[in-house]
Amino acid sequence: MTLQVAPPEVGTSPDVMATAERRRGWLVVAEQESRDLWTSGRGLILLLLFSILLSAVTYLTSTNQALNFLEQRESVNLVLQLAVAVGVLVTLVVSADGISGERERGTLESLLVTPVSRRAIIAGKLIAALTMWFATFIVTIPYVWVLARGVGILGQAMALGLFVGTLVAVGLGSVGLLISGVCNSNKTSIAASLFLLLILFAPTQLPSGLPQGWFFEVLLRANPVASALAYISSMLVEGHSWTEDLSYLITPLLTALIAGGALVFAGPRLLRLTPGVSAG
Amino acid sequence: MTSMTVEAVQLTKHYGARSAVEDVSFEASEGEIVGLLGPNGAGKTTTIRLLTTVLVPTSGGFSIAGHPSTSATNIRRCIGVLPESSGYPAHQTGGEYLRFFARLFGLSRGTARSVAAELLAIVGLEERAESPISTYSRGMRQRLGIARALVNDPVVVFLDEPTLGLDPAGQAQVLDIIRAIAKGRDATVVLSTHLLPEVEEVCSKVVILNRGRVVASGSVGEVISGALIKQSAQLRVPLDLVERARNVLAGFTNLVVDQPAEQRDVLSLVVDRPGSETGPGSGDVMNAALAAITAAGIPVLRFELEGARLSDAFLKVTGEAAL
Repeated sequence: MTLQVAPPEVGTSPDVMATAERRRGWLVVAEQESRDLWTSGRGLILLLLFSILLSAVTYLTSTNQALNFLEQRESVNLVLQLAVAVGVLVTLVVSADGISGERERGTLESLLVTPVSRRAIIAGKLIAALTMWFATFIVTIPYVWVLARGVGILGQAMALGLFVGTLVAVGLGSVGLLISGVCNSNKTSIAASLFLLLILFAPTQLPSGLPQGWFFEVLLRANPVASALAYISSMLVEGHSWTEDLSYLITPLLTALIAGGALVFAGPRLLRLTPGVSAG
Repeated sequence: MTSMTVEAVQLTKHYGARSAVEDVSFEASEGEIVGLLGPNGAGKTTTIRLLTTVLVPTSGGFSIAGHPSTSATNIRRCIGVLPESSGYPAHQTGGEYLRFFARLFGLSRGTARSVAAELLAIVGLEERAESPISTYSRGMRQRLGIARALVNDPVVVFLDEPTLGLDPAGQAQVLDIIRAIAKGRDATVVLSTHLLPEVEEVCSKVVILNRGRVVASGSVGEVISGALIKQSAQLRVPLDLVERARNVLAGFTNLVVDQPAEQRDVLSLVVDRPGSETGPGSGDVMNAALAAITAAGIPVLRFELEGARLSDAFLKVTGEAAL
């Protein structure tokens, strides 16, 4: 038995290769992670469950709309809010598996000994997790189209959902990866992420909304999910302009910036065989 | 001329107050297979993780293919690693898995495809290239892991327990591949294993660790001599020539010759003071004794060496009762 493998990229200088690795590393990781997510069936199952839920909610809202219990704008708002909430949920679940899952499956060490930087690996994982959000958004389009017929808010609703949902998904996807990096096990990471989302999402689902008063207003604005959904609602239901309640987007934006920044800063220390940023 | 590819100098790793590796130093050159031995918890895996930049040393340093430990990316570019108990994505195919890693090393899609196909053929998995890894046996997975370690044509290959859990045929296959890596490509192989007979067979150098420290290193012969293992042998000659044989062997001052009472045609030889600084090693004494017997025209009916295997040295230097 003889091994005669040609050296990679014969004639390419190490510097050029290093640049190519830096440029493409995140893309290669994102591509493979996305393929794993969708071909393993995990992504498709989550998307199927979402579609069933969305179908049921759309049916109920359109029935209520027909009975004049619900205005058309409110129906669109309800379905769009659901899409953002569930899209963010699945993004969080997938990103919460990103580092702790690799550790548990014993596949992390092989990744760590490649020349791709830790930050590029994390960026690739975040992008792959975000494909879950984009997929749920695409599935939502026909449902919103059906509900928004005749009121001329389809374009506005879609643009709003895509922008706000992406902002929240980037923020909470980053939080999911941070949690995954510091958790001892995959189960702990996913449970902690779901618990976090429940805390953030539950206040938005009270039948009468949050009670009035400055305390609850602060609570609403401090919550990236609740304030993002409030922004969607203010535009779609109350007909406000996109600049009128822009302050609602401060928390989602800060969450994305802080969590994303923490990932960039602490990423290399998170992506280790042992959990935590100080492990060594 | 061979060049130095691995140089570890007083490599130390502490986890709080606990020391995992302490002052580990050794060297290896291209084409060399270095056996990293030690009982469980001796620090073999930690040493490999330090040398592969997965862990950062507390103190000490190392260089791989001329790159210092501070240049982690350059080191990763020229090493191949099969980690201990490496996991594999079950739903990926072997080909897809290798193509992914080849691309992580900067190879284009086309080159990654051809390198993956070539490596799969080398490790005997070409027919299963497009089967999911979940359908692979343990031996096939280990071979796939070795193939992955070669996607970047590495200068140094680290294999941590590559034969763990394999049947004898699987072990033999993996050892054949390891030999081929060192001989066919002049790569240095650092091999952590518990299979001492195989280490004796394939390794040109061994480093024995115990409780995080190097307790012996050098060639297999040097380690055995250094462990001051008394080598013994059983020599059977025709009954009427036993006395003549004793007289011949009496010329060897560091050889103790005895005769078991129950076997009158057998002489028991024990090398006294093995591995002494000035005198010859155990193996040399036995060779000389045997040569003297045959030179004296005494037919050798049986000659069996005992007590100077790597496993004896290993047990002595690590103080372990069993592996």
